[in-house]
Amino acid sequence: MTADGTRSLRVNGDQVEVDLGGATPLAEVLRDALGLRATKLACRRGECGACTVLVGERPVMSCVTPVALVDQPVTTLEGLAEEIADVRAEFADRGAFQCGFCTPGQLVHIAALLSRSSETLSDEDLAESIRAQLSGNICRCTGYQAITAAVCAVVWRREADEMESR
Amino acid sequence: MTWIGERVRPIDWEARTAGGVQYTADLDLPGTLIGKILRSPHPYAEIIDLDVSAAERLPGVRAVITMADFEPGARYIHRGHPLSDRPPLADGVVRHVGQEVAAVAADSAAIAAAAINAIRVRYRVRRAPLTPGDSLRARARRLHERTSGEPNVSVLSAIDWGDVEAGRRAGVVSVHGRYVYPSVSHACMETNTTLASWNAERGCVELWTSTQAPWFIAKEVSHLLGIAHEQVICREVAVGGGFGSKSKASEHEVLAAALSRKAGRPVLVELTRDEEFGANKPRHRFETTLTTSADRDGIIRLFEADLLVDNGSYNHMGSSVMRVGLITLGSMYRPDGVSLTSRLVDTATQPGGQFRGYGTPQVSLAVESQVDELAERLGVDPLDLRLRNTGPEFAPTLCGYEVTTSRLGDCLESVRMELRWDERKAERIPDRGVGVAAGMHGSGAFAYEQANRSDAAIDVFSDGRVRVRHGSADAGTGQNTILAQVAASELGIAVSDVDVVSMDSERTPFELGAWSSRGTHMTGSSVGKAAREMADMLRAVAAQKLGTDAVELRDGRAVSENDAVDLGDLVELSDDAVDGCLSHETSYLLEGTEMITPGKDRFNLSPSYAFAAHGAVVDVDRRTGKVSVIDYVAAHDVGTAINPTATEGQIVGGAVMGLGAALGEELIREGGRIVNTSYLHYAMPRSADLPSVRPVIVNGSDPAGPYGAKSVGEMSIIPPGAAIANAVYDAVGVRITDLPITPDKILTALAQQEGRRRRHRLWRRPSRWWVSGIRALYPLGLHTILHRYGTKLGRGVGHRGSTPAEEPRIIRARTDDELTSQLGRDARPVGGMTDALVARRSEARPAPVLISTIGIPARRVITVDERGALRIGAAVTLAELADHLRDRLPFVSEAIDSIASPQIRNTATVGGNLAQEKRCWFFRNGFACYKRNGATSPCYAVEGDHRFQHAVIDGHRCQAVTPSDLGTVLASVDAEVVVGRTGGRRTLRIGELYSGPGELSLEPGEVILEIVIGAEDLDRQGGFAKLSLYHGDFATASATITALGKEGRLRDVRIVLGAVAPTPWRARETERALEGTVVSRLRLRAELDAELDRIAHPLPRNGWKLDAVAGLAEQALEQGWPPGWRGSEDAALC
Repeated sequence: MTADGTRSLRVNGDQVEVDLGGATPLAEVLRDALGLRATKLACRRGECGACTVLVGERPVMSCVTPVALVDQPVTTLEGLAEEIADVRAEFADRGAFQCGFCTPGQLVHIAALLSRSSETLSDEDLAESIRAQLSGNICRCTGYQAITAAVCAVVWRREADEMESR
Repeated sequence: MTWIGERVRPIDWEARTAGGVQYTADLDLPGTLIGKILRSPHPYAEIIDLDVSAAERLPGVRAVITMADFEPGARYIHRGHPLSDRPPLADGVVRHVGQEVAAVAADSAAIAAAAINAIRVRYRVRRAPLTPGDSLRARARRLHERTSGEPNVSVLSAIDWGDVEAGRRAGVVSVHGRYVYPSVSHACMETNTTLASWNAERGCVELWTSTQAPWFIAKEVSHLLGIAHEQVICREVAVGGGFGSKSKASEHEVLAAALSRKAGRPVLVELTRDEEFGANKPRHRFETTLTTSADRDGIIRLFEADLLVDNGSYNHMGSSVMRVGLITLGSMYRPDGVSLTSRLVDTATQPGGQFRGYGTPQVSLAVESQVDELAERLGVDPLDLRLRNTGPEFAPTLCGYEVTTSRLGDCLESVRMELRWDERKAERIPDRGVGVAAGMHGSGAFAYEQANRSDAAIDVFSDGRVRVRHGSADAGTGQNTILAQVAASELGIAVSDVDVVSMDSERTPFELGAWSSRGTHMTGSSVGKAAREMADMLRAVAAQKLGTDAVELRDGRAVSENDAVDLGDLVELSDDAVDGCLSHETSYLLEGTEMITPGKDRFNLSPSYAFAAHGAVVDVDRRTGKVSVIDYVAAHDVGTAINPTATEGQIVGGAVMGLGAALGEELIREGGRIVNTSYLHYAMPRSADLPSVRPVIVNGSDPAGPYGAKSVGEMSIIPPGAAIANAVYDAVGVRITDLPITPDKILTALAQQEGRRRRHRLWRRPSRWWVSGIRALYPLGLHTILHRYGTKLGRGVGHRGSTPAEEPRIIRARTDDELTSQLGRDARPVGGMTDALVARRSEARPAPVLISTIGIPARRVITVDERGALRIGAAVTLAELADHLRDRLPFVSEAIDSIASPQIRNTATVGGNLAQEKRCWFFRNGFACYKRNGATSPCYAVEGDHRFQHAVIDGHRCQAVTPSDLGTVLASVDAEVVVGRTGGRRTLRIGELYSGPGELSLEPGEVILEIVIGAEDLDRQGGFAKLSLYHGDFATASATITALGKEGRLRDVRIVLGAVAPTPWRARETERALEGTVVSRLRLRAELDAELDRIAHPLPRNGWKLDAVAGLAEQALEQGWPPGWRGSEDAALC
């Protein structure tokens, strides 16, 4: 049984100790205790996706995830940005962000989708499956289609690169 | 070298996509306090007593402010005297729910919340009108003393433009109607946030604030604090969306500043999402009553209009929003005359504010709907009718606009071509329709003194880099990037060599900000001018150095025929350079426009005018009322697109925001208080809700614009409302005149069109008499009595300021015994906790201990037992269960896929989902309702908006429903629930699990351990269908049908309807009737309709859900037994 008190987390590859109540949302731990402020808070109710981070491989809403229930490594945009340089460039080319406030959550979720694309995305209707998967990430600026287009482009490019490297 | 027209990446893209830019809440100033605001719970009340002493005494509280901390009579300036009417904090009276009463700054958010709770306010609550209709009644309370001559009318405009009599004579074909555009929220992703830091030495305050217009923030804050404009220093910070809401003060900035002054430390005020929806200033609701008259040739000759604009409780920009709205009638089309009356009506609700489109979308809905109505009357194609009525270029309009270029005709032709308009019109696919709407918007409005002026500065450094300085603010529009393009083009350098500094009161020159679509025109012009003048300065220096006047700036150098010199070196050579930097500041003054002046009705507000035509293709589902947009084209005349990617972004983003208002968004009020104060309950588009909007830039060049450019940001939100309404009419012949076009309106109208009516014969059902009687008493005073007096006898929830709960202790059990041995009244079971922390915020007595099942290995797995039954651990996540059942029971997986979001499904558990709280936006958003607060409190759904979320069957005192889609589908496979307690287990049928809406028939100390689906039930065939307002929303209604046996006849049929009754509801009579029959959609519908008629007891406005759920049942049947499936007899029956 885990009691409250100091707890140990692995965040972006680093082991960190935080001395916080177990009900503290993971997002607040990341932002306030660890200074990782790419993760944004926009609703604090698990409804908008701006706070999306990876726990293990899975994207979760860190604003409603109490730190007491986190038992796998946590990855935030700070830890992913280099890995998804191609997605970020595609975002820039297609206008997939405007104000940028939802962007960290979108990118973290997209990184998770791409890393398991055979399970998460359908070849048959790629755009539609991206839209369905990203419906928990609200964007008020772009109308979503540049985001969808950017992810499609990355999927296709990565597939083509893979074919070539074979 | 020009960068105009290039698809340049946003200049800060690398930082912005790495989480490397700082928004206000990301900043760190040592010693920052957290500020919170106490808000009025009443729509209208006098403040008898306001006692902050207990709050001030709390340890860790550093400042508490009330109106007494401001000058007596201090008011926001807004549109200026006599319209200035809003105090920074309540001045003896509150006029809307959410009005600021006091504010505190404390060491932590928890202390600040406790301090808010410790402030004692005694209110004398008064009745006050909450709608324009009520406000205009003779005996309504007057909210303010106004000068219009009519009570509660802040501004009255009666305008005749042109020759109204001639229009009347010529307009022989008329259409008439009333159109309502609702109040909608900007819902920016970043809530309004301000960090204020008072500097006692300098007597000034620094502000990092999420704004589109720092100048206006400084103006209002300095005025209210009684200091000079220059003593409020705004600093540059990233802004997370504005859409107009952040173009003027949002009432928290001055509170942060005043708290910081009083506390002597920095203060951060970050509005919550609840405050953002519930207290901030949304779009003004317009009721437009319009008559449009045309001659036989289809030329519009006359508009006659009567507008009611809901001002809310204070003026803000209401007068100019109304002004810009009514100008819609005198600008785009060219009738002989316009005759209108318009009233800005005070109501005791949150005031309206500035919102992208600024009055135009509201009036445009009426005009563009009526153009279609006229087209039908005249037998003319609606697109052709618009083409006949587009005005000429370079010509004046009735409202005084001097239109420059207009390519509206080309926009309309683009829609015709891109949508295959003529073919689609000819095809006539059932229930599919096409619609078009046009619009027009200025490029900046001369709305204030000096709004025709923009200053800008250019710095060139000795390393060759260039810096643009402007005082506007890029809230996501791409303004900084296009200004870099402009400067780079004029100076012959790469865009990557340009930095942009904005917003900073000390470092950037005079600029009123990014509002009224003025960003591109005004700062594009001023930065262009500054850069051109800088280029002249550099060329002059180069001419001396190179010995020739024939110098050109390109590739970062000044180039003559034979020689070249780097720009950086020119800085070193220049006598005017200081410390390696050559600076130049300039002022751009707009010519030819006129300022809005009281008493005048015609003025040329803008230097140029943008146009657009949008076309929509929709499918209307006659069974559920759902409107699906199949295709959408947005063709825009923007002059020259300086950055086409950014321009398209504005077109698509604005169109989707407009589609949100057309199809789902609306702020819903009950007793003056917003009901839907969360994204969960606000049906704005999610990614999967809309198809790609296809933007078309009808390129041109406007001589007035900088580099030929006109505006785009607001234009795109104007046409969608009417485009969709027109397409819906084309599809099913139903004209919806009040947005949003939600399924209830469609199904209600279709039932009327088809002459269908359900008869529930309540007089023959004694079991419903009691409920009927109570419901009948609600509007006769019962609601008022329970609300005003009964709620005071309750548990004391639902009032803002109720005691914040202590943080719970969270325990992860490792075994069933460890779990059950600790459960009890004070220790409740939880799963992944996706809603436990949120739900406890509004619980009267939240449990101090929460014990999670997710650490119990046995509860995390799905196994098959010796009898072949599937045993699903309660801590299995929704995502895991969906994956597991995808081949075996695909309809269960589909139901799970429709729940919330992938992130939630990754965490939320099966047990937690089944046990989640009831679905009701009154209950969930803190109303002191019957279930929340106790038996003497009202059910707010009876009188309030119950169209989507509430029961149509078996509603009792509470009208809520069980939200779990999983519960609905599991009931259709006869699942069993294993419940554990200390020393024992019991097994329930899932139908027995629920005792009421979201309420379980479990004792304290009991917990769901697993779900069991029997071996035979794993062979069930079936389908699930759900109607929701957006992708991932709870069901408005859902239906599941399953049956055993694959021999062509239905055996052991289960029909379970979700979200229509307090618990998942079995249609047992229909099940029996279908037993042993061959699959027939028509028979199902007939039996189910008959059963629903016999059993249902809907509220006044949710009877449509019966039609919807019957339609969903048909769809579920089709999904489980697709058309063409052997045994289907519909072909014969049809």
